[in-house]
Amino acid sequence: MTFQAGIATFAGAFIFPFLIRLCWGKMVESWGAIGGWVAAGFIVGTMWTFNHGVGAITQSGGAWIDMAWAAGIGLFAASIFSGDDFGKGIVNYIFAIIGGILGGFILSCFL
Amino acid sequence: MKHVGTILGTAIAGMFVMSIWGEFAGTYGIGGGWFAGFIIIGTMWFLNHYVGIINNDGAFVDMAAGIGVAGTARDVFMHGGEALTSSLPTLGIVLLGGICGGITAVLLEKHLAKKNS
Repeated sequence: MTFQAGIATFAGAFIFPFLIRLCWGKMVESWGAIGGWVAAGFIVGTMWTFNHGVGAITQSGGAWIDMAWAAGIGLFAASIFSGDDFGKGIVNYIFAIIGGILGGFILSCFL
Repeated sequence: MKHVGTILGTAIAGMFVMSIWGEFAGTYGIGGGWFAGFIIIGTMWFLNHYVGIINNDGAFVDMAAGIGVAGTARDVFMHGGEALTSSLPTLGIVLLGGICGGITAVLLEKHLAKKNS
């Protein structure tokens, strides 16, 4: 990981939860459930193109680090920072991690 | 049941993202990757956050928390712990960038709320 690659990785990780936090809720508010699909394409699809398509996030090793890591931790941090309950949230976060490990294990069984 | 919903929702989202997405991108290039985001995240968001099977009674847990883990866990199960150690620099920067981005967004939200009130 060079210094330049580190800056690009940081920038890509910064922008993803930033866009989701500011825009996703408003899109759903404005357009209902369809707003969620618009957000999925135009926020996540476009952000994927930046981070993994053209490669802003440099992979330093053999285990894939997805931009989803940035969204998960970033939205959680944002929620705490805006005053939501950390104690209840962290329990749910741990179950989300367990679900992720389960999903990763099942994938390793057939890929 | 509430935690079962969280586990199932993140596991399914993680599996879809970490297998289908790469195939779309590999087969159809950048356009395939963009489209994969649309169909996978659109559907999984609807299940996890609109129908709402991920339990969210505290600070917000996005399905992305599970999706990120799924991709990394997949490679650790397939290639061993050394794969994780070598990826720690990227993981550290990505987590730091994510936290900074989320908190900056809240600061701007507060600024906009004040400006518009």
